[in-house]
Amino acid sequence: MSFHPALLGRRAFLSNTAAGVGLFALADLLRRDGLLAAEGPTKPGENPPASLAPKKPHFAPKAKAMISLFMHGGPSHVDLFDPKPELTKHNGKEYRGDVHYSFVNRASKTLFGSPWKFAKHGRCGTEVSELLPHTAGIVDDIAVVRSMHTGFNGHEVSIRYFHGGIAGVTGRPTMGSWIVYGLGSEAQNLPAYMVLSDPGGPPVDAAHNWNCGFLPPLYQGTVLRPQEPRILNLDPPPDAAGDVQRQNLDLLAALNRRHLADRPGEADLEARIASYELAAAMQTAAKEALDVSREPERVRNMYGLDRPETREYGTRCLIARRLVERGVRFVQLFLGSQPWDNHTGIRTGLPAICKRTDQPAAALVKDLKQRGLLDSTIVHWGGEIGRLPVCEGELNANAGRDHNGQGFTCWLAGGGIRAGTTYGATDEVGHKAAENVVTPNDFQATLLHLLGLDHDKLVYHHGGRAQRLTDGRPARVVKEILA
Amino acid sequence: MRIGFTLAVLILAPAAPATAAEPVTFEQHVRPILKAYCLDCHGAGEKMSGGLDLRLKRFAVAGGKNGAAVVPKEPGKSPLVERMKAGEMPPGEKKVPAEQIAIIEKWIAAGAPALRDEPATLPPGLGITAEERAYWFYQPLQRPAVPVVSNPNAPIRNPIDAFVLAKLREKGLGFNPEADRATLIRRATLDLTGLPPTAKEIEQFLADRAPDAYEKLIDRLLASPAYGERWGRHWLDAAGYADSDGDGATDTVRPFAWRYRDYVVRALNADKPLDRFVVEQLAGDELVPRPWSNLGPEQIELLAATGFLRTAPDGTPSGATDAEQVVTDTLKIVTSSLLGTSVGCAQCHDHRYDPVSQRDYYQLRAVFEPALDPGKWRRPGERLVSLYTDAERAKAAAVDAEAGKMQTEFNQKQSAAVRVAFEKELEKFPTEEREKLKAAFDTAEAKRTDAQKKLVAANPKLNVTPGVLYQYNQKAADELKTMQGKIQAKRAERPVEQFVAVMAEVPGRVPTTKLFHRGDARQPKGPDLPPADLTIAAPDSKRFEIAPPASGTATTGRRLAWARHLTGGTHPLFGRVMANRIWLNHFGRGIVDTPGEFGKLGQLPTHLELLDWLATELPKQGWSLKKFHKLVMTSTTYRQSSKRDAAKDAADRANTLYGRFPVRRLEAEAVRDRMLVAAGRLDLTPFGPPVAVVEDAAGQVGTPDDKPRRSLYLQVRRSKPVAFLTAFDAPAADLNCERRNATTTAPQALMLLNSDFVRKQAGYFAARVRTEATADFLRAWAADAAPDSVELTAATAWRLAYLRPPTADELRLATSFLATQSAALRGKAKDAELAALTNLCQQLLASNEFLYVD
Repeated sequence: MSFHPALLGRRAFLSNTAAGVGLFALADLLRRDGLLAAEGPTKPGENPPASLAPKKPHFAPKAKAMISLFMHGGPSHVDLFDPKPELTKHNGKEYRGDVHYSFVNRASKTLFGSPWKFAKHGRCGTEVSELLPHTAGIVDDIAVVRSMHTGFNGHEVSIRYFHGGIAGVTGRPTMGSWIVYGLGSEAQNLPAYMVLSDPGGPPVDAAHNWNCGFLPPLYQGTVLRPQEPRILNLDPPPDAAGDVQRQNLDLLAALNRRHLADRPGEADLEARIASYELAAAMQTAAKEALDVSREPERVRNMYGLDRPETREYGTRCLIARRLVERGVRFVQLFLGSQPWDNHTGIRTGLPAICKRTDQPAAALVKDLKQRGLLDSTIVHWGGEIGRLPVCEGELNANAGRDHNGQGFTCWLAGGGIRAGTTYGATDEVGHKAAENVVTPNDFQATLLHLLGLDHDKLVYHHGGRAQRLTDGRPARVVKEILA
Repeated sequence: MRIGFTLAVLILAPAAPATAAEPVTFEQHVRPILKAYCLDCHGAGEKMSGGLDLRLKRFAVAGGKNGAAVVPKEPGKSPLVERMKAGEMPPGEKKVPAEQIAIIEKWIAAGAPALRDEPATLPPGLGITAEERAYWFYQPLQRPAVPVVSNPNAPIRNPIDAFVLAKLREKGLGFNPEADRATLIRRATLDLTGLPPTAKEIEQFLADRAPDAYEKLIDRLLASPAYGERWGRHWLDAAGYADSDGDGATDTVRPFAWRYRDYVVRALNADKPLDRFVVEQLAGDELVPRPWSNLGPEQIELLAATGFLRTAPDGTPSGATDAEQVVTDTLKIVTSSLLGTSVGCAQCHDHRYDPVSQRDYYQLRAVFEPALDPGKWRRPGERLVSLYTDAERAKAAAVDAEAGKMQTEFNQKQSAAVRVAFEKELEKFPTEEREKLKAAFDTAEAKRTDAQKKLVAANPKLNVTPGVLYQYNQKAADELKTMQGKIQAKRAERPVEQFVAVMAEVPGRVPTTKLFHRGDARQPKGPDLPPADLTIAAPDSKRFEIAPPASGTATTGRRLAWARHLTGGTHPLFGRVMANRIWLNHFGRGIVDTPGEFGKLGQLPTHLELLDWLATELPKQGWSLKKFHKLVMTSTTYRQSSKRDAAKDAADRANTLYGRFPVRRLEAEAVRDRMLVAAGRLDLTPFGPPVAVVEDAAGQVGTPDDKPRRSLYLQVRRSKPVAFLTAFDAPAADLNCERRNATTTAPQALMLLNSDFVRKQAGYFAARVRTEATADFLRAWAADAAPDSVELTAATAWRLAYLRPPTADELRLATSFLATQSAALRGKAKDAELAALTNLCQQLLASNEFLYVD
């Protein structure tokens, strides 16, 4: 057994606070009784008891954790990662092929060549647009997938496909819930699945994005608020802090223990006792984990915390790293108001959102790498759709692009992803995925695979059948992008 | 936000389970797969894609334009299998899973057997197969025989016990012993009222040795006004009640939604029969003769009852143009709460798992179409009915007229006074300038010449306006002020106009209903569809169709007709769904534990016969909910202790057989209300507009000034859910809530440990404990006893929080805590003892004994 940072944190907590003894002794008792670490064979058709204890994956994993930078609205792949010389050449001309539009009332067939220049970067020579200079600096660590395809142009339909496994359907467990269900938690004193929400408001579909669906609520994402306090009620009021709080918690534990002694085997009561422990531990651990001021200035600046345009997103990326470092299994960053949804004014809108996110996202990869965490952490960057090669409405200074779920780009890094690759291709103008198509179900199967889980074997029985993230639909582990 | 197209793709596929031994047949195993994946194009429509119809085995063998789809005994030569395997069929994202293709292969290899002779032809559409018809939920309601259980280990008090014990016996189990009396009164009181019993109530019950003491307790609780508030909230969950429209960020407040909430509370307290209760909510408007003026209290209630159909979110107040979503959502609420069936899938295509056709969906929609009327949509503000009586209206008009007159008089007097003051001021100027000045000031501002403008600017003193009149003539200004006060007083006599939000038709307007191609309202197709109940809800060819109204009737009466049919006492869906919901709220789990989904996608009943017996018992008892509660609560099943034992846990850990009473966490509202009771603050004022919620500095939503109304009466603002209630699983974002979770999370723990709300209640609780303990102490002291004041304090806290005295061990724990912490706080807190007591009280409020009920 290796020393996990979270365990070190736990030990420190135990030695620093006398309260720890009472609280954690109880946790250990429960664990010994097999109540928290309930792992073992279950009957066919029966679900394992809900537990966050670490579970064995199906096979040796490459990655232990994942950070997903979800880019709402549909980043324009033809302006960012998927250069199309043919498109540039025929800028302003009529497109002869079929186009799948969303906004038919503004449909146009006028090809809209990218206003931005592409160049090859790194040893691998991956082409990246001038809009993403920082991402261009990490191409040797990432795999760019140019053939993403949902088949649907709508935001919700595709978002639900990515999170829940079925296009258009809400209310299913999200990928983060499945991962935590499959692997449990290594963070003793932080939630296993955390969501970093955006000050610009909730994402499309709001809480459905981190819902546990039919999985037990234990596997639901915990949302951090976009500003301080990121967790409500985290601090005890000043008059009940320190020794006083320790005395209070000891009393509470004693009351609950007596109550439980008369009701042995009542799992809910045990879980609540454990929840107080987690809450008490979180007061220290979460505060520490969320406090980016503890980072050296060099690191803070690397994420862009020194500049207004990158400060907010950079802070969240940095928090994400700190969480993963402390054993959190799945972290997802969301964006409100769909900043990548450039229907109009793409010439100003796209550079703005690139400026806001490019440096922080690249810094996250670099930072994980220099700490030796990139090997065990998957980083995902991508939206639910891309954008059309034709312009929406008139091709003028204020032009934009409509939705495109037929072909678009995402990138992955770390955790067993083959670094410095480009995979798949769209057609000559960038509308449809043409080679090595990757669907959200393929994407899910691949990520679960890296985490040591077989998407077909990770099942939960509900509604009279075995449920899966990929719902028994064709889903391929994209071996070509694995290291 | 711009949103492309939304697409409802429902692909939740329960594969037909086929065990190795069982022969695979077309009807039982293959058709459900074909229905899920193929029949949309090869069966449901009028035209068959490629001429291939897969509704019958014989059609599949006969094949289409490209020849046979199925070659019996030759799966390898059957294009059906081949094309599925190649991923060519069905086209699109959704593919048939390998294990289901294997079932089809197995079937073909076995010679493609069918259970029954197939007809030569079929009418268009999928129809309902014998297999679908045979599903338990669609069977006519029949009263099952009550099992006879010999040598029961506990009294069989009523048929519920016989049904439950018979099942327990199958596993070699029996009932738990009866819970002790103190437990029973806590359980029953919290269950029926959502509030803890008082010390006096406990004392009386424990002392009551009459054999029917428990029955009397239940009667008393059912008569409590808190009963309607508690069980009303359960119903509001299913109805999806909210005090706002949910129109995006604006989230417009629904100022009159509370009348529906109050209707529900009053109806339950009055034990309004359930059939009547449902009829009023679906069609109360049809029971109030028009015109709707001079409405009496009962008529207002009937109109308010239709608030049930106005709970869905509605984006139209802030400009959303799509009223279709409101229609869709309303149908979802109606069908999940009353029919236990999700019909949403059938909006776009025939339901793939339940026998609900797309046509069925639109015929059910036709019941509601005239009232909802998306084609001529009325926004929430346009669906209000004024509660003014003629007398009030006349009074309002009279007040307006009088106040208007007074205002005119005032205006005249004011202008005159201003003029007088101006002229008087003017006299202070040399005579020769007066004419010019007068002309300049009398000319309208826009028309003044430059010279005049200069003149005006140079002589501000002459700029006499009503606002500064007092500087020139205090007396005139005072008189005017008095006059203004009188006008205001007059206007205040105007009776305030109140409204009720109503779901009703516009008399004379009957919009048609058509099927929408792929659920898209822009693509209506086919004939006008007449209103009808679901086909499957009645035996073959007995479907309930609603006749057109008699001529001369102003409204269609469709909702009323459907509601009466639903509550006729024989509707197989409605009766089971209602009985199940009541059971669920007593035991924390339903007999069908997916209370909004009884079909193929839901769970099977744990006690089918018991459910049917209960569903027939409801109308038999005149649909009295109070009688039904009493029946359930006086059963041995309900009165058992909650103690676990190893043997039962081994056989039935989840307690699906009811071999004990479940330990349950209180619902969000009950936790908050119980805290306020312990704090001695709960405000029991019933009814009326909700307490508007506010956000504190940290963004937590609560009541202003910590107002202690019962949680039921806090505003349900969709965008601002009350933080404390949401943390404990009160419904928030969803359309309606069929079943609440009882989660255990770290944020709940943080809320109980650190939130301002809980800290405050602990403070009140502690102050109360001190006052009561002091009084007890003085009483004892006067009687020459010498009680230990610390022990007395702890005992008081225990009694108020846990409704029982502390054990000796707990007393030691509490006294030692108070001593240690008071010492630690001395010099730090103003009143160290009180601060320590506050912390003790808070831990009691946060503890499991407070949050859970045995």
